[in-house]
Amino acid sequence: MTKKIAFWIFLLGTLSSAVLFLGLTVDTHRQVAALSHADKLSENVVAGKRAFEKYNCNDCHTILGFGGYYAPDLTKVVQRVGEDGIRYRVKHPELAFANSVRKMPQQHVSEVEIESLVAFFNWVGEIDNGDWPPQDSKKRLSRSEQRLSLGATVSPGAAVFQTKGCMNCHSLHGVGGTFGPVLDTIGRTLTSEQIEQYILNPKSVNPNAKMPPQNGLSDRERDEVAKFLGNLK
Amino acid sequence: MVYTSQKIANWYFSIALFLFVLQVIMGLWLISNYVFTIPQEVVNVFPFATARAMHTNLLVLWMLLAFMGGTYFIVPMETESEIWSPNLAWFQLIALVVTGVVALVGFAFGWTKGRPLLEIPPPLNYMVVVGALVFLFNVGMTMFKARRWTVIQGTLLGGLVFLALLYLAGIPFYRNEVIDWYYWWWVIHLWVEGAWELVTGAIMAFILMRLTGVDRQVVEKWLYVEIGLFMFTGIAGTGHHYYWIGAPKYWLWVGGIFSALEPLPILLMVIDTMNHVRHRHAQIVNPHTWTIAMGCAVFHMIGAGVWGFAHTLPQVNYYTHGSQVTVSHGHLAFFGAYALLNLLVFYFAMPQLKGIEIYKPTRAKLGFWTMCSAMMLMGLTFGIAGVLQSYLERVLGMGYMTAQSYMRLWMGVTLVLGVFFLGGVLITVCDLLSPKAATERLD
Repeated sequence: MTKKIAFWIFLLGTLSSAVLFLGLTVDTHRQVAALSHADKLSENVVAGKRAFEKYNCNDCHTILGFGGYYAPDLTKVVQRVGEDGIRYRVKHPELAFANSVRKMPQQHVSEVEIESLVAFFNWVGEIDNGDWPPQDSKKRLSRSEQRLSLGATVSPGAAVFQTKGCMNCHSLHGVGGTFGPVLDTIGRTLTSEQIEQYILNPKSVNPNAKMPPQNGLSDRERDEVAKFLGNLK
Repeated sequence: MVYTSQKIANWYFSIALFLFVLQVIMGLWLISNYVFTIPQEVVNVFPFATARAMHTNLLVLWMLLAFMGGTYFIVPMETESEIWSPNLAWFQLIALVVTGVVALVGFAFGWTKGRPLLEIPPPLNYMVVVGALVFLFNVGMTMFKARRWTVIQGTLLGGLVFLALLYLAGIPFYRNEVIDWYYWWWVIHLWVEGAWELVTGAIMAFILMRLTGVDRQVVEKWLYVEIGLFMFTGIAGTGHHYYWIGAPKYWLWVGGIFSALEPLPILLMVIDTMNHVRHRHAQIVNPHTWTIAMGCAVFHMIGAGVWGFAHTLPQVNYYTHGSQVTVSHGHLAFFGAYALLNLLVFYFAMPQLKGIEIYKPTRAKLGFWTMCSAMMLMGLTFGIAGVLQSYLERVLGMGYMTAQSYMRLWMGVTLVLGVFFLGGVLITVCDLLSPKAATERLD
């Protein structure tokens, strides 16, 4: 091989890759509007993005998988903790994470900014991004839920408890989140019916409840998980 | 050393080394945040996010200063002339260091653009651009006046212009988060897997040629093939960051195929380095410099090539994306490809700039092997934590903090390894700042 041939390898290699890349960039711009629901990109959502950047949230949290790995991914945060869950955590991180081994800074985010953040997260959560992240995928978790409940020792309710995000806040026998109360013996204080009501509308059972209503569960899932928890005595 | 204006490079290198130490200290603080519970009062004042912005920006700053210093060292030798304006080189160094210091202090007070790795806010952005333009103008004028063009300096200048242009993509505010990440990667990916590889290829070729005395025509021929492959796989390979951001599905194919080929040019670089050393015409006066060159090529292959390939396919990346696996890859790749490359330049140039032809390699070896072993093991411990996270959180659907509790042990081991790494860095930095001449010939 001569130096001249080597030069042509360089030139053609670079140009072909660049042409492909720039061509697909143009097409990506055409398609992103639909994939990201750009029509719903209101001023409030953009204000939320600005607040998200102002407080440097992205250097602890990932969003769409990019950023700091110190705190949970926020792509599907609305689905995971609910709008009230977001408001509470941003407004009072010192209370929300009082028992957590990792803390979130109190940055005195204003009410207006918090509402914009919620709008921003709602918008991001709707982006058609190939069903990522897997732990929030409705499709995949229902499959793992099925697999768990097929196991002889696990009841369907336990499977719902493990796969529907309850354990982000609550723990059973030392496994799970520290944000909400430990549920090891919850059946002693509440009946299955009360628990079901609690899941639907926490404030109706306990006016001081911080837990957001769990609207993401189907009737069957709510019924199963309440039965499971009610028997923990 | 022949050209007096090369001396400026020593200042670039010394400041880069100081920033490198700061970066590693900041890294130790970050890993401590994973191992211990930091009190709320401390977190309110100095959160993880601020420390991370400092850790990553120190990295970028010290590497850019090292590249620039390296360029000011290499270009006079390649063009066989003095730098066009040493004063501009001084001005540019001061401008960039002041910008960097203001940015770092600003982060501590919450002055940030809030985009990971590109936290430097708008007015300071433009200072960086001015610094880069002055640098390119100065280097370009030196080459233009000398009228002596080589492939090595062409590649170097091309890489640096490409680097500066891409930086512009990170400056605007994008309303759409998807588009924002799309162009964020033009800076981050096309820097480290494009422009920086061009700079690396040129510097490696230059040093190998000087170390081994292998004919320029041979070195430059392989340089063309290497950078051709880097560009071919690297540019379209950007697609491996577009899998889960809300971009069209064809990026899964484009990103997967092109990035699966990305290890090839790195492998070629390893073979090339070994070949040049085997067919050397000159006696290697400083064998340790050659050890670093080999270490750089091999570590580059492991960190960027193997680790990158391991989680670049969409089927794997679906579970590992945005986990500690990325951290493992990032540390091994940056250290292997770029930190070792810059240390190679430092060990090639700094003793020479102090008039030492053959340096005493005792401390250099201790520092090198401590850093390399500690970083390799850190890559493994971060990797174990990352695999645990991918499985527990993403496959089993365990809550984020629950999965993290199983990873904590490995973060603790990483902290210990990090202390060793800092030790290696300090030994290396001391050695480079006051190199000792060898008392007797080593062979």
